[in-house]
Amino acid sequence: MGDTDEEKVWVLQSRNGDPAAFESLVRAHQRMIHSLTFRMTGSLADAEDLAQETFIRAYRQLDSYQGTAKFSSWLYRIAVNTCLNWRKREMRREQAHTHWAASGAARRTEANSPADNDELSQCVQAALMKLPPKQRAAIVLTVYDGHHHAEAARLLGCSETTVSWRVFAGRRKLKRLLNVKGGRNE
Amino acid sequence: MNDFDLDRKLKAARVPARDEDYWESFPRLVLAKLRTAPVESSFERHWWPRLAWGGSIAFACLLVGFAIGHWHGRMEKNDSFVLLQNRKMLREVLTLFPNRVRAIVQDKHGLQLVLSDQPDVPASTPLWVKICDGKQCASLVTFSGQELEIAGQKVTVLADAQGGIILEGSRFVWSSTAQNFAQGGLKIEAKRLPSISL
Repeated sequence: MGDTDEEKVWVLQSRNGDPAAFESLVRAHQRMIHSLTFRMTGSLADAEDLAQETFIRAYRQLDSYQGTAKFSSWLYRIAVNTCLNWRKREMRREQAHTHWAASGAARRTEANSPADNDELSQCVQAALMKLPPKQRAAIVLTVYDGHHHAEAARLLGCSETTVSWRVFAGRRKLKRLLNVKGGRNE
Repeated sequence: MNDFDLDRKLKAARVPARDEDYWESFPRLVLAKLRTAPVESSFERHWWPRLAWGGSIAFACLLVGFAIGHWHGRMEKNDSFVLLQNRKMLREVLTLFPNRVRAIVQDKHGLQLVLSDQPDVPASTPLWVKICDGKQCASLVTFSGQELEIAGQKVTVLADAQGGIILEGSRFVWSSTAQNFAQGGLKIEAKRLPSISL
């Protein structure tokens, strides 16, 4: 999403403390951020928490937004960092996924289950959650959100080589996990 | 399963849909949180991870220094040329600090590991360099593009496409392929080392 003139105005007005302008920015980017935070957490509740945290951090750091990058890229970077700093809740979620994997696909009726009525989505999300967070972020950025490795490197604050390695290692692990699950499920 | 099949499977996994009421209320929820959430002090937010990270790096450097020193002491041939070109040592150090090793320097103070704050040192062919200024010598293994303090001056080490090595300091420029550059009274040797695969 490119920065429209309207969006630039919203950023300026938000900096000046206009809540309606910031609400418009949230409205414009909330789906992108929720999608990222869900892929990174595998939980609707945690995805919502992290999306809120992302927008709150963005609001407080608005003065540091120079306008040289797209606002969506700047916001996306904050969201990625917020997700990578997500520790305690992630451990809780990993335990939940381990439990889910051990007990089969019987969690579909649970209220907070990440992808009700969609076993494939559940399998894929469980496999994603087994990746180390930085590998997961590299996969989400490149596969789901279509960033080139160079763009992903800028967003993750690391070298392109590191991103390439994380994507390679992440893919290798996902293939192994999804092949096993596919064998069981298909 | 190839990459294409994997991507297809990954993309087939949908993010659970939320109803329109949720998207309508979420921005207002954020604003409400903004009004009530306490402002986190940047000092409180940043000092502990930085301290932990700094401490970890310092501890790891100590361990590596100790290991290298211990190993060094056991080597029969106590020669910087041999030590710095030891592939096993290089591989272990590069594995321990991926994309952070700017140089391993041996001078009158002993062996030192020069690390980057960020993992921004691209993997490339290691270069061995020895500089003597008449009073003291420093040997090091580094990578193209690194700016280092060697023999009391800042030196940028570069590898060219023809396999040569160029050293550029504030008072001299030296090339392994063209010897007619000003050397500023320094005696310099440099060569490429075999690539290290991690």
